[in-house]
Amino acid sequence: MAQVAVLMRARVMRAVMAALGCLLAGGCLFAPRVAEPPATGEIVRYLEQLSPADVWDNLETSAEATHAPGWEAAISQTSFTYVPDDAAENQYPGVFTGWDRERELSFINALYNSDVTIVARMRNLEFVVPPSSGSESLWEGVIYDVTVTSGVDASTVRYRGSADITFSLEGNFWYISRWVDLEPESDPVSGQLLSTMGVLRGNFASK
Amino acid sequence: MRATFQPCVRSRRLGPRSAPTFLFVLALACASAPTARAQFDDDGAPADSSATPPTGYGSADSTGTSAQTAALGLTVEPKAGVKANVAQFTYYSDWLTTVNLARAAKATQTFNWSRDEYRKQDKTVENRKGGLNYNFGEQLPLVTVIDGSWNWSEDRTTNSAGFANLYKVDNKLVSLSASRYKFMGLGLLHSAKLGANFTDQASLNQNQRNDFREGTASANVQSGWAPARGVIVAGRLGGTATDGTRLLAGLTSPSSAYGDSVGIGVYFNRGIGTGFIQMSRSNFERKYLEFRRNANGLIDTVGVREDEKVVNELETKDALTLNFEHTFRIGRLRGVTKASHTTDDLSYAVGVSGLKERSADAANLTVTYDAGNDSVAVVYRYGWRWDDQRIRAATSSRGRQYVQERDFQVNWYRTLFEATKLSLQYHEGLTQDIAEKRFNENDKDRLQLDFSGRVERLWAGRLRSAMVFSYRQSEDASIRGTSSSNNNRKDSYELTPGYTWYLAPWFTLDQNYRVYIQYTDYLFSYLPTVTRLDDYNKRGDLTTKVTFVPNQRLTITIRHDFNRRFNAAKTTEDAAGSSFYDRNLEQDISRIDLDLKYIAAPGVTLEVGTYRTRDDKTSIGRTTSETRTDSGDLVVGSRVDRSWGAQQQFQVSAMVKKINAFGPSVTASSSDYWEADVWLKWLF
Repeated sequence: MAQVAVLMRARVMRAVMAALGCLLAGGCLFAPRVAEPPATGEIVRYLEQLSPADVWDNLETSAEATHAPGWEAAISQTSFTYVPDDAAENQYPGVFTGWDRERELSFINALYNSDVTIVARMRNLEFVVPPSSGSESLWEGVIYDVTVTSGVDASTVRYRGSADITFSLEGNFWYISRWVDLEPESDPVSGQLLSTMGVLRGNFASK
Repeated sequence: MRATFQPCVRSRRLGPRSAPTFLFVLALACASAPTARAQFDDDGAPADSSATPPTGYGSADSTGTSAQTAALGLTVEPKAGVKANVAQFTYYSDWLTTVNLARAAKATQTFNWSRDEYRKQDKTVENRKGGLNYNFGEQLPLVTVIDGSWNWSEDRTTNSAGFANLYKVDNKLVSLSASRYKFMGLGLLHSAKLGANFTDQASLNQNQRNDFREGTASANVQSGWAPARGVIVAGRLGGTATDGTRLLAGLTSPSSAYGDSVGIGVYFNRGIGTGFIQMSRSNFERKYLEFRRNANGLIDTVGVREDEKVVNELETKDALTLNFEHTFRIGRLRGVTKASHTTDDLSYAVGVSGLKERSADAANLTVTYDAGNDSVAVVYRYGWRWDDQRIRAATSSRGRQYVQERDFQVNWYRTLFEATKLSLQYHEGLTQDIAEKRFNENDKDRLQLDFSGRVERLWAGRLRSAMVFSYRQSEDASIRGTSSSNNNRKDSYELTPGYTWYLAPWFTLDQNYRVYIQYTDYLFSYLPTVTRLDDYNKRGDLTTKVTFVPNQRLTITIRHDFNRRFNAAKTTEDAAGSSFYDRNLEQDISRIDLDLKYIAAPGVTLEVGTYRTRDDKTSIGRTTSETRTDSGDLVVGSRVDRSWGAQQQFQVSAMVKKINAFGPSVTASSSDYWEADVWLKWLF
């Protein structure tokens, strides 16, 4: 019996040593690059995500600075779903199936990397932010307005839509766990019907 | 697709003459379906003809077989129902007629109608669908199916600014497919499929018509050969052609699409293990009317002259896919290696976005080892992909946008002693975004490191206890100075003890305590231009759940969550390096849930649920503010599932709930509503 136990311990040790070897090899491969110190006057200021409003307003900051980490930090790491409005779904059928955090991050990086400048107003002035209660908060009918200008051909496309947004308290911070686009909204000045961000997402996800 | 076949074992059972046939069948079943999907990802037409031949043939065949066994006769199934939830009401009805005919032929007819009325929006949607399908069964030498369908929908929406829009679609489709599965010729085993369809669609959106009438023909052939024992070579050739006319916003033009694909795969099951190598290449060319798009591919017609809003686009695409997979097993050691390489070039002749190039390489290595009480698994993944773009008429490309991913994971499971198990997990992953020639300023790295351990014990079958510890580090680093001010490292620690106590068959107590703390260190917070302060956040959560089952009809569950959290920001650091933090937020959240389920009769259940939440928050700053919010709901409902008749011809299913809710984020439409799913079905 003692011999068997010794043999078992040896096997376990070999397995542990192999695992540690892999860990060490892994450590060498996982060193991030050294970042440049921040340049003066280009500071992107985010709010701590202590309330749903902080999270939503950080999207605006992220979009205007085309700084993807800010958008990524607002999206829930445990569960995120995006549901498009019918108009976006009809324009890009099937593209939004299973739209999760990974696809949202892929979208926002593709958008920001495509030489664009963005002007964003993520909530309309009339929207009354409900105080958060418990560990989940729902914003119904918030209207966002995002204008994307291409640096290549200087063309400008505006997206405006109403959405239901669900925020979840995970750990100590709030995150967006569900984004449901309800319908496209009109340009307040010209009255022209605009598209929701579902069309923007669909465009970058389908190519 | 994994080549998990075991032809050597099977061939011994089937005998030497059966073995090649069996290998051919498996090869065809494994042949290049995923690669074909990758080739035609963006265009449905070619994919229809080539993506799914092996399974498609199989299903067509099996349809015939099932039809063969069905009794001759007529079946009619009408169904009607209603659904309701917080967002909408849906009324619907379905009609299905099935006729089983001689020689396994089968005809089906469907009709579906539905109407959605939205509660929170000024919106209604009506859908009507009809379908006719005839499967010739064994009446013809080929498996032949004729399909006809009609889809009609009207979506009427008025947005918050009063803009009313009608989106209307009327689509008619007729299609014919004929296939033959597994036939011999020239010493090879073949499968072939032919298809044709005609579509007539008219649609209207924002008062602009978008119509088309197009016909498509397609052909797909696969052949397989076994040059040696345990080795199969399978090839595939497919083509599709579409022709017709399109009308968009008042402009009419001919439209067309032509595509072809070729693929080859080698599948092996020899001493070196099992696996496959696949290669496929495809291309297509498509001409169609399209709204004018900008350099990012976004529709951009604002301020454009009416006659320039629509363009005649020519889209071409070339794609190449290589796949390799190998699995080996030596004693208790098992390994799986996967590698792939894909490229595709997408070009627009008119669109400003011009030429888009993409390439992706991926590798995945998994090794697992079982040793007595221990089980170890090691996984390493590597991915490298890039995309590039040359704007139409530009003299050079934009520059490649690279994404590099590495991921490493070790899992170790061990039975420490009787009824006590330990599991450990270590994970590290790095994702890097790199812009070639610095064409943008968005280079960034994300490092994730996780370590967790769990010990679980079952005490005499009555008490289950567990302890979880986890550590997580994440680092977000923007590389360029224009966006690195928020670079930070987050270290999180979590400790969760808990138990479930089965006190009696009718009484269970479940309790968990979770304490969680996260430190955020802003990497450039020492610079005067960076205003971010290092901080920490702490949270404790006690959950208690009690379940009573006094008899087989009644289940009562009571749950209480008490949650306390603090946030604090770093204020100073002394000469010794000790940090001092000031609390700026304290919050207590208390929630109690009560659920009751009662089985009133077979197929009839009554349900009641309610919760109340109290949230006390204290924000500490120059002035301290305290707030209290309360929220909750009450849900009362029932479920009924019954059927009647000698052959259960009448079926009723009903779920009805009434919800009343209150709280700061509950609007008028969410405070009082019904949830329902009720339907009635009759078979004759």
